[in-house]
Amino acid sequence: MINLQPYANPVYFVLLIATLMPAMIGLYFGKRFKAYEAAWTFVFLVVTFGGEKWHQGVALIGYVLFQLLLVYGYQRYRQHRNQTSIFVTMVSLSIVPLVAVKLAPVLPISQLSFFGFLGISYLTFKTVQVLMELRDGTIKTIRSRDYLRFLLFFPTVSSGPIDRFRRFQTDEQQVPDRETYLGLVETGIHHLFKGFVYKYMLGYLFGTLLLPQVAHAAMLCRHAFFGTGLSVPLILYMYVYSMYLFFDFAGYSLFAVGISHFMGIKTPENFRSPFAAHNIKEFWNRWHMSLSFWFRDFVFMRFTFYVMKKRLIKNRIRISQVAYLVNFLVMGFWHGVTWYYITYGLFHAVAIILNDYWLRFKKAHPNFISHNAVTESISIFITFNTVCFSFLIFSGFLNTLWFK
Amino acid sequence: MKQHRTLWGTVGPVIVAIAAILLLLILPHKHTAYRSVELQKASISLSTNVFKGESMKTHALDHGYVPFFGSSELARLDLMHPSVLAEKYHRSYKPFLLGKAGTQSLTHYFAMQDMTKQLRNKKAVFIISPQWFTKVGQLKAAFSIYYSPLATAQWLLKAHNNFVDRYAAKRLLTMQAVPATSIMGQAIEAVAHGHHLTHAQRVYLQLRLRTLHSEDKLFAGLGIQNKLSRLKKDKKKLPKRYAFNRLDHLAGRIGRRSTTSNPFQIDNYLYRSRLKGKRIKAMKNKQVKLDYRRSPEYADFELILNQFAQSHTNVLFIMPPINAKWAKYTGLSMRMLKQTNRKIKQQLTRQGFNNVLDLTQAGNVNYFMQDTIHLGWRGWLAIDQVVRPFIERQQKSPHYHMKQMYFSKKWQQKIVK
Amino acid sequence: MDTKKNVMSILEELTGSNLGDKMDVNLFESGLLDSMATVQLVMELEEKCQVSIPISEFNRQEWETPSKIIAKVESLQ
Repeated sequence: MINLQPYANPVYFVLLIATLMPAMIGLYFGKRFKAYEAAWTFVFLVVTFGGEKWHQGVALIGYVLFQLLLVYGYQRYRQHRNQTSIFVTMVSLSIVPLVAVKLAPVLPISQLSFFGFLGISYLTFKTVQVLMELRDGTIKTIRSRDYLRFLLFFPTVSSGPIDRFRRFQTDEQQVPDRETYLGLVETGIHHLFKGFVYKYMLGYLFGTLLLPQVAHAAMLCRHAFFGTGLSVPLILYMYVYSMYLFFDFAGYSLFAVGISHFMGIKTPENFRSPFAAHNIKEFWNRWHMSLSFWFRDFVFMRFTFYVMKKRLIKNRIRISQVAYLVNFLVMGFWHGVTWYYITYGLFHAVAIILNDYWLRFKKAHPNFISHNAVTESISIFITFNTVCFSFLIFSGFLNTLWFK
Repeated sequence: MKQHRTLWGTVGPVIVAIAAILLLLILPHKHTAYRSVELQKASISLSTNVFKGESMKTHALDHGYVPFFGSSELARLDLMHPSVLAEKYHRSYKPFLLGKAGTQSLTHYFAMQDMTKQLRNKKAVFIISPQWFTKVGQLKAAFSIYYSPLATAQWLLKAHNNFVDRYAAKRLLTMQAVPATSIMGQAIEAVAHGHHLTHAQRVYLQLRLRTLHSEDKLFAGLGIQNKLSRLKKDKKKLPKRYAFNRLDHLAGRIGRRSTTSNPFQIDNYLYRSRLKGKRIKAMKNKQVKLDYRRSPEYADFELILNQFAQSHTNVLFIMPPINAKWAKYTGLSMRMLKQTNRKIKQQLTRQGFNNVLDLTQAGNVNYFMQDTIHLGWRGWLAIDQVVRPFIERQQKSPHYHMKQMYFSKKWQQKIVK
Repeated sequence: MDTKKNVMSILEELTGSNLGDKMDVNLFESGLLDSMATVQLVMELEEKCQVSIPISEFNRQEWETPSKIIAKVESLQ
């Protein structure tokens, strides 16, 4: 049985777009063929999670049924009552599978990894978001089929971008007029080709051609600089890895957004020139945006809201610092339970806290430093290098360099 | 002014672009002649691109180049390297280097499938390293780097239902370089089981071959490492006139100067970057258990021999030594090595491959090796003494008599005492 | 016009500048409001304008300028 991994090779794009044609022709003529889209999604899910990956398919089915039950159950409950404990229980239950998969490598219970499948994180983000909005009352009712369509929207199923239910539903419900749809096709094509350049040319250049070479060179210098392994090749590795990470993931995201546009869905963008950010705070508004916004809206803001309302901490500056730590630690743990992912999270929390001190200082002393092209370039340079250093931690290469 | 979008305006450019690419790949290309400097660059570049492609190799072999098959030692481009000597002394032949670290018999067998025409009734040099003959033989990871879909497609289209082709197909499958579910993978499976290719498979392979040929012709010249300046630099160090004694003396002098940092006569740069410090200590007696006598590589090597027999190629086989000082330090068994060499030699000579240059006893000769296992200064020069007459003079045409026995498990595991 | 006055005074307190003549400035892109200040904004609005704003309701695009905030609060009252 064949198995295809999302956006892995040219054949995949040919198959994806050729089979999507009927739906696209429908949209061109102002009709959305929902049954066809559902069947198409089903077939591609089977092809992605079938064959040699069948155990992932089983995990996916189990996962989706479980989440459906939670969402449906909570929705029924929420129509009559609104107890915090039930809400907390529901959210906890919905993240249990993800937590289990993330803990599998560090716990002695290796069977936990059987819950895993490609994209479990992204489906969990979507479900948690729906549960939270049900709690807030911004989603009153949600039909099972709408929820499933949102959850399993195929272009983004494996690695995002993470859409929001109400936004998705609006696009899904209304069929764009011909002019608008052609505009979407045009931007879709643009996204795809930009993605090809990013992922298959630049990502290949940095990831496949350069990365193994600089990794090898850095390993040869592992005893350099008093045994820390700090060397020119290691610094090169840091930059090459950062470029690879960006072009590979941004390329993938462009594919996902491009194919979404073909389906008349304006999936949010994931990257907006992240390396042009002039501070860490702005960096997170440009890097993996759908994830960082999700964390902002569903972790950071809720956490600060809760702390302020309950007056757990009086000092507002302190609140934001604690919130950043919580936010980025959760993100670190989500990447995986290893010292380098958690350090990566901590590093960004500390960086953003320091950044805040600086911003407050600047606000208090408006004449201390003037804003011009030079200072702007310097801040971009500092931010870029800070970020690249964090990616060196994230890459796990230091783990290999020091401990393997 | 608002412009109205039209369907053609939106998707037209993409359709035109795709059509142009398809035409570029499917329409046959006229064979572009490479400039001689390009061929020279390719002949010493050792680029994977050149190794896997067809047009550069065949073009060069049609224009006075002689294939030198081997592995990592080919990269030791010092002043006595065959390519440098041939260039300096205006030999009638020019070596075309094929092979890099990780290319062993099986990689060579498939990679030469797109140049069998050029091998027919010609001469070749083949450096065969004992290090290939490990317990596992050809590594999958290395094979996939040098795997050439072009040569493989060509091989498939002319494969027969005979023992050799079935054996090659089976080995190819175990390398897992071709996805088993792909059409190519299924065609290999068919050959392995002695089935004919289906008509559809043939049509697909021919079409694929055509696009691969176009790609090869369009891109073969790209990304070739330029080592010509190194060649020129080395060339300058050589005396005007070729005189063995003088050259040998020079080789020894440069060897001595280049190996001052260690007692093994290993090149200073290599020693510093790969062995110095903890690593050298870790190598002490590390190779006591190495055994090259039993290996699937013997059967893969037999594939190569069959190819040479089939194309009636006259081959000079070179068996290089191992740096004796190094071997002693790492505890490599001399008895094992002796038996390995004897086994390789037996497989060659008993099938009529009588041009064998056995240097295995020269591991103790000063500055013969550049490092641990790779030929260097005086070693290259010693080879030149045999390579040159072999290629330049008329040779008796060889008579090969191939024996299927050399494919057997029994032979692979046999110890020749 | 109570709402407008309330909103503007809250914004002045949070951003540290009078936005009376910048009703359409983008508060997020200009860096005047960050996530932390946003939470404070929501809480202050809930308190002083007697509206309930669930965090999920807080879609940045609908709250990005002073005029939009005023309109949004009025629609929720």
